[in-house]
Amino acid sequence: MWADTLLIVFISICTALLGEGLTWLLVYRTEKYQKLKTEVEKQKVEKQSKRLEKRKETHGDSFYKQHKKKIEREEERLKINNRDLSLVKMKSMFAIGFAFTALLSMFNNIFDGRVVAKLPFLPITWIHGISHRNLPGDDYTDCSFIFLYILCTMSIRQNIQKLLGFAPSRAASKQGNSIFGSNPGQFK
Amino acid sequence: MSTKTKTVERNGTSKSSEDTSLWSKAFTSNSDWPDKEEFLDVVYWMRQFIGIFIGILWGLIPLKGFLGLSLFMLINAAIVYFYCVNFQNINEEEYGGTWELTKEGFMTSFAGFLVTWVIIYSGLYHE
Repeated sequence: MWADTLLIVFISICTALLGEGLTWLLVYRTEKYQKLKTEVEKQKVEKQSKRLEKRKETHGDSFYKQHKKKIEREEERLKINNRDLSLVKMKSMFAIGFAFTALLSMFNNIFDGRVVAKLPFLPITWIHGISHRNLPGDDYTDCSFIFLYILCTMSIRQNIQKLLGFAPSRAASKQGNSIFGSNPGQFK
Repeated sequence: MSTKTKTVERNGTSKSSEDTSLWSKAFTSNSDWPDKEEFLDVVYWMRQFIGIFIGILWGLIPLKGFLGLSLFMLINAAIVYFYCVNFQNINEEEYGGTWELTKEGFMTSFAGFLVTWVIIYSGLYHE
């Protein structure tokens, strides 16, 4: 079993690197993406420092309203920039997604019906479909290729993104939350 | 203003000089963390190492079943919590509460833990 499991880890490292390489080629290195990214980061930092400033000051109602309006305007701009950023990313993500689906079905065929590992726990029922995919027998601790591959990709891909500095910054990903459900106490 | 320059620097390429001090800062109690991202990165990578380490350990013992999963979650959350609150003495509210810190990098670390646990366990005990 060592050979199969280690091979799957190797495959997912390769596909993660390939995916990141392709994304770099199609998205990250483009001028448009970089410009938008720096702008979003800059705006986020500005927003944070302004919020800090606001907290320090004690002032009247009119000043508060004025400030609030300004912040709201900037947030609107940030929202638009963020949307553009995701649009730039999305197109190539689709292309990469298709390529990887093809690659995955190829590996699926190679490992079809093969128990690649033994799980040390019994997965919950709704995971059986993935963990026991195309495997003979009723022993649900048998692990299929796809389950191990998904787990490997989950851990390896994000770590590689982080190591290479391609991971979306927390500032940008948090922005999504604050658009839809604004942080309580944000304008206090 | 100072936070602004720091963050811009971090996102740029001048990281190498910060790296050595980051290690010592991470292992020194009550360090000062002007850049929140830096601290969250430390928490993130710590989580990954904990995940892989516990995965190897559980695989070698071998620990099985629900006990293994729940023990991992408990130990993982407890270590990070104590590191943040007791060792570094940071104010959780600045980072959006305890929950934000507890979930930082949790899924990735959980996946890493499962992978190492499954590989070691099936490699050693099921030929």
